[in-house]
Amino acid sequence: MLDVARNENVKLYTYSEVSKISGYIGNFSVEINQRARYVNNDCNGCGACMDVCPAYGYNEFNQGLNPRPAIYISFPQAVPSIAQIDMNQCIKCGLCESVCELEAIDFDQQPEIIKLDVGTIIVATGWDEYIPEDGYLGYNKYDNVITQLQLERILAPNGPTNGHLVRPSDGKEPKRILFIQCVGSRDLNRNAYCSGGVCCMISIKNSKLIKQHYPDAEITIAYMDMRAAGKYYEEYYTASRKEGIQYLRSNISRVYEDPETKNLKVLIQDTLRETLGVKEKEYDLIILSAAMIPDYDISALIKTLKLEVTPDGFFKERHARLEPIETKIPGISLAGVAQGPKSIAESIMQAGGAASSAGKLMKRGKYKIELITGEVDKEKCSKCGLCILNCPYDAIKMVEDGAEVDEIACRGCGSCLANCPSEAITLRYYREVQYEDQIDALLEGIKEEVA
Amino acid sequence: MAGTIRAQYPTTIRPIRVNCTARVTPSLIMRSIGSGADGVLIVG
Repeated sequence: MLDVARNENVKLYTYSEVSKISGYIGNFSVEINQRARYVNNDCNGCGACMDVCPAYGYNEFNQGLNPRPAIYISFPQAVPSIAQIDMNQCIKCGLCESVCELEAIDFDQQPEIIKLDVGTIIVATGWDEYIPEDGYLGYNKYDNVITQLQLERILAPNGPTNGHLVRPSDGKEPKRILFIQCVGSRDLNRNAYCSGGVCCMISIKNSKLIKQHYPDAEITIAYMDMRAAGKYYEEYYTASRKEGIQYLRSNISRVYEDPETKNLKVLIQDTLRETLGVKEKEYDLIILSAAMIPDYDISALIKTLKLEVTPDGFFKERHARLEPIETKIPGISLAGVAQGPKSIAESIMQAGGAASSAGKLMKRGKYKIELITGEVDKEKCSKCGLCILNCPYDAIKMVEDGAEVDEIACRGCGSCLANCPSEAITLRYYREVQYEDQIDALLEGIKEEVA
Repeated sequence: MAGTIRAQYPTTIRPIRVNCTARVTPSLIMRSIGSGADGVLIVG
């Protein structure tokens, strides 16, 4: 990230979102809404303001496990390393302003709209961890049920506990730890898909990490299927089994808490050895390995980009097998989990592919368009605007004497002409009479039979 | 699609390719039925 920020050919806009897109391949105009940090770019990230700030909010980066001041740097490696003020928590005491030697605090900063002209776009919006509904497997109901990302922060050396594994209820080291896999994934009532084996591998990694630091920890992973498909993944899984991590193929439906000890009880059965029956077991800490889902705030961007999504909510590629990077709009490609759940290595591969597919178009400087586009007979056009509403590619504009099709943006789907009440639009090579003749020819024999 | 998933379908079905299912106008459907088709299936 730092390399990207330092590269003079790359312009980085952080804390911003794309609010408007128009145009077509080679000529997109984009509006970026950069939110106000209330700290200007003179900030060098020294952190003096954070030490004096009396107001506190939840530390989002640490999954809400510890507080942070109202003026904060979102996480230690943030690029650029500039503080920002959470105005929901700020009490406007001005202490930060008084200690800032660089006079970087600016309470009057406003969000900025930046306009850019770009040739190609790569969508890499990433993912969020599925938030289980309150009470499901004890989540948000019992203190010692946490998600995989929360565990990830607890185990991080710069996390809320400086890397010491402690459980939230009493701050003690847990001895008996249970990982529950496929929380919210491979579940027809939540998300039907598998998160690509990512949660399996994270559980193996974190269980190995815990075992390394606390050799006497008893770790159990309750799984449906361990999906360790990838280079060295199966070996990694086998190694973790040799280290004494217990794998139980079982489906856990409920978690109970002992109100006094805050320990957790589950009914568990090894479905590979059913004769052993269902047993009640007690654990100190339960980690929910939750599904990877598309970014929670993605719906506005989907509308802005006019892209499609698959039923699972991820961006839809042009073809699942043959064109997994391109989208239905030429010039817009996808990278990473925005397109579907995948690991870091796979995301890097797809990002490389997306960069080269954009580079190929940019280098060539020319783009061949299809001639199958809509045509408007302006004499027939009543300027009702139904075609504009129905165009999935934003390719029709209304001008003074009728609708006009942008032949570069048009992809020749024909939605406009099927909805045109005055039959003013035709689709080149796929005209109404051509279809009528096809229908007549195919049904010729049948018509005679009926007659 | 029916080809790639090797789906079997009756020989009495007559496929006509359209660029997009939204391209199908009511008049095309009515014409097919008028010409003796038992039904029209719009598949995307």
